[in-house]
Parts: sequence; C-alpha cells; structure tokens
Amino acid sequence: MRPWLWIPLCLVALLIPVVVLAGGGEGAFDGVVRAIETRYHAQATRIPFMGLASVVAYNATHGGVDDVHVAEFEHFSGPVDGDELNRMVQEKLGQGWERMIRETSRKGYEQTLIFSHPEGRRMGLFVLDLDGRELDVVQVSVDPDHLNESIGRYQHHRDSDESD
Amino acid sequence: MKDRLIILLMGVAALALPALAQTTPSPLMLPPNVEKELAARASNVTEVTLGKNMLGFAAKFMNGKDQDEAATRQLIEGLDGIYVRDYEFDKPGQYSMVDLDKLRQYFQTPEWTPIVHETERKSGESTDVMMKTVNGESRGMFILSAEPKELSIVLILGPIRMDELSKLGGLGGLGALGNVANVTHGKDKDKAKKGGEQ
Repeated sequence: MRPWLWIPLCLVALLIPVVVLAGGGEGAFDGVVRAIETRYHAQATRIPFMGLASVVAYNATHGGVDDVHVAEFEHFSGPVDGDELNRMVQEKLGQGWERMIRETSRKGYEQTLIFSHPEGRRMGLFVLDLDGRELDVVQVSVDPDHLNESIGRYQHHRDSDESD
Repeated sequence: MKDRLIILLMGVAALALPALAQTTPSPLMLPPNVEKELAARASNVTEVTLGKNMLGFAAKFMNGKDQDEAATRQLIEGLDGIYVRDYEFDKPGQYSMVDLDKLRQYFQTPEWTPIVHETERKSGESTDVMMKTVNGESRGMFILSAEPKELSIVLILGPIRMDELSKLGGLGGLGALGNVANVTHGKDKDKAKKGGEQ
C-alpha cells in the first residue's frame, strides 16, 4: 500500500465513532419533526427567528439555556399509538438519548415523552407533548450550573421584593 | 507494519459501531411481560426512568444553601437510579392478585427483605416495601402500592433509608414517596409501640 494512503485511512477510521456519536445531536430534532409530519400527515409550525431566540436565551441565562428548537403541530388529528410514537422518536433521536419520562393514555390523545442526552457539562433535553389536538416538540440544551445561577438571581429578586 | 496499523484501526472502528448501537437494558427488574401486560390494560401509564446521569443533573439544581437542600442533593447524588411505573385503570379488577404476587415474588431473593406489608381489606389497597441490603448496608428500595384502580411500582437503587424517602418528593412525579414514608414511618412507630407494651 502506498504510504500517503494510510494517513487518510487512519483519520477516517478514527472519525467513524466520533461521527456516529455526534449524529444524535443537530439533525435529531428535525428528523423527529419530519417523521411526525410524514406519519401523521400534519404540518409543523416552526417558530420564526428561533436561532435568534436561542442566542437571546443563551445570553439571558448566561449560558444556562442554548440550542432551543421548537415545533408546534396545531389541529393534530386522530389518536396516536403511544408505542409507535415512542419507537419513532427513539429511532430518530438516535443513540445517546435516554428516555426519562413517558406518559401515555390508551385512548391516544395524551402523550408525553422526555428524553435526555448528556453533553459534557450540559444536558440535552427533548420534550414531546400531545394534549388533545396540539402537539409540541421542544429541544433544548441546558447547563445546570449556569441555569441554577440565573434562577437563584431571580429568586433573590423575588425574595427581596417580598420582604419590601 | 503500516498495513497492520491500518487493519488495527479499522478493527477498532468496526468494534465501536455495534458498541454504540447497543441499547441500555431496563434496570427495573420486573418479571418479563408484566410491564407490557399491565400497560396494555391501563388507561394511563407513566414511566419515570432516572439513571445516575440524570440524578446527577437534577442534583445540580439544588444549590445546597440550606441544610435540607444540601442533604437532599447528597442523597440524590449517591443514588444509582430511580424507576417508577404508574398504571391507572378505568375500573377495578383490571389487574389481579396473581399479578401482584408475581411482582412480590420477583423480589423474594436473599438480597431483598420485606419490611412493610400492609393490606386494607375494606378498600382493597395494599402497600409493600422491600429493602435491598448488601453487607448490612441499605442498597435499594422497592415499593409496590396497589389501589383498586391504580398500581404504582417504585424502584430506588443506591443507599437510601426509609426516613429519606420524603426528600425525593421534590423530584418530578415522585411526590407520592413522601406519603409512603409517612405510612411506613407510622407503621414502624406502631410496631415499636406494640413491642414496648409486650
């Protein structure tokens, strides 16, 4: 084998696991939304300027909240098979995402799924909530330390307001 | 030499793929199919799965400024997992005593010791609490609470004492643990009282 060939080959070999791990991140949210649109013949309303809102949230919480994605399905019709929805979401989110909470009604009009994904110091959270005819999908990345600081700051303001 | 290195690297990458594709098995040690059967009959099912990572994450939200919060944070950080299954039924009789016995029997191993078994014949409610002990130390708790139209199963893995249950009530969906702690605490008191009278 030619000597120059083994360098890119080694790089590819080393990059495969990294790419597989990262695959659960950016495209996961869109993948789930698209799958829901296809399976249930519904159209998601994506919130405009969400990228900007995400930056604002990041600054407002001093890095506590980042990477905010929101999609809303209004007039969602028909009951949902909880097992099927759960399987679909799990598959689209990919490896690394663990289901934390699942609430499902047999009649299929109420479904809640919350998944988490450790991202170093941060935690990715994915929430899907179907309530009657409205289905909301949210994904967010949270840094508990920074978020806690921000919450503490507001609590401090509230406490001082109450004492006045 | 170079060829061997390439083969080795490719091998590592090939091995990493199936390892990444593996799914984590459910640590809630319930008899096979019981979960599925109960879920199929229930009108509402709630599943809470909090592994060590998630508990560590939840603990970070407790800043530990007051003593209670610091103690709860320490407790949560020490736990290996909290698993809850709650089944709500449309009418009584959707699960049988056989189902309950299956669940109880599953924890009848030397590691698990039943510490509370309470049955109210009138209301048809029952509560079972079992404690996992390893080398004399508490390493987990299993709680089975049955009402005619609701069945709750809670498994807590890690060092926990009965009097600490109510501290977990602050975590979402685990508020009922405080009630279990009160019931069992009351029973312990009763037992202690009876023992003292004898």
